[in-house]
Amino acid sequence: MFTSAKSASIVSISTLLLIHSCYSAYEHSLISIGAKNSLPLDVTIETLVSVFLLCVGIVLNNSQELKPISWSVWSGQLERERGSGPYGYLEERLGFLDIRTKRAEFAKWAESNE
Amino acid sequence: MAILSTLLSYLSSHPSPLRLPQTSQYLSQQAPIFLSSSDSSKDTQETWIVYEQLLLSCLRTGDDASAKLCLERLSDRFGRDSPRISALVGLYEEAAAKDVRELESVLKGYQDILKEDPTNMPIEKRHIALLASLNRTEDAIKALTALLNHSPNDAESWSQLSSLYYTQGMYPQAIFCLEEVLLILPNAYNMFARLGEINYISAQGTNMDGLIESVKHFARSVELCEWYLRGWYGLKLVTGKILELNRADKAGGIERKKIEALNEMATKKLAEIVGKANRRERGWGGFDEAEVEAAKALVDSSDVKTVR
Repeated sequence: MFTSAKSASIVSISTLLLIHSCYSAYEHSLISIGAKNSLPLDVTIETLVSVFLLCVGIVLNNSQELKPISWSVWSGQLERERGSGPYGYLEERLGFLDIRTKRAEFAKWAESNE
Repeated sequence: MAILSTLLSYLSSHPSPLRLPQTSQYLSQQAPIFLSSSDSSKDTQETWIVYEQLLLSCLRTGDDASAKLCLERLSDRFGRDSPRISALVGLYEEAAAKDVRELESVLKGYQDILKEDPTNMPIEKRHIALLASLNRTEDAIKALTALLNHSPNDAESWSQLSSLYYTQGMYPQAIFCLEEVLLILPNAYNMFARLGEINYISAQGTNMDGLIESVKHFARSVELCEWYLRGWYGLKLVTGKILELNRADKAGGIERKKIEALNEMATKKLAEIVGKANRRERGWGGFDEAEVEAAKALVDSSDVKTVR
């Protein structure tokens, strides 16, 4: 697993490389007005490498845990890890919370646990 | 770790803290620590979510002093007239009411607010919940159908109406309401399981069409959620019942082999869940202990039958 420091350094190095290659291309275009000179190979390579590294760095930089693509796997994971899925609120129904019953239930539980 | 991030991570791993007394107790014990910490004065969305959850937990455990403090800060921030806050104020008054007379006056307060603004949803919901809590279920159903008349897209209200009808023994109406929920949220697997349960109960263990209908709903619920204990439990229970009742090759248009295969699959899944939950494997700690116990009993009882 990549640490965030490593991926952050990849992103910053590749950004610098990309800026550098853009600057080189610009300078090259200034000194070669009218000439048929195309972009030097090293600038092309630098651009491609920096863009590739930048993409890799951004992907690795993702700090959030990846979720399963399949809905049933994802909801299954929520159920077994936390006991409640994305629709738990349809059964809990906080808008209609019967607080007096909940209170009585808790008082009873607390008494039996003492 | 700062108290705010502790509470946020606790809430994300326990998404419905009011379901079990233990989680409410933990949150209400943390409430005074949070309220006196510097985190409590941060004005971020997360802070207010924590305030609301702490308020509910404190009301449940009877820590009215902390609850009042939470409520005061919420209403200072959002204004006492905002529908959501006024519903929380009502909830606090309901919890603090000592006798039926005080509850009646809270109810009167709701009715006054609703006279001014008949579509104030949070207050309408409190009004309905209080009516139901005072055993005036018929009035509650009437008020809830009125609510659904002006906002038919509220899945929570349909689900509530279903459970009110269910308590009155009006199963076809309860089933209709759940079907309305599924029109709004077609992936709600817990509602499919509930449909399966109500179909099973109204079939009273003998009506084959009802049992088959119930199997279909349970099957859909586990299709949408691969580790849904309640869905697998229902599937096993009802297919077992059908196999017991019907010796023919076909039951209600479904081949016996298919029912047997479903039963076997449910048994396998339940055994896996029970085993992993009882060994307390990582990532399997979310199941309710009583439910795991019940699933174990169901699996064991069918083992005995097959040995015979």
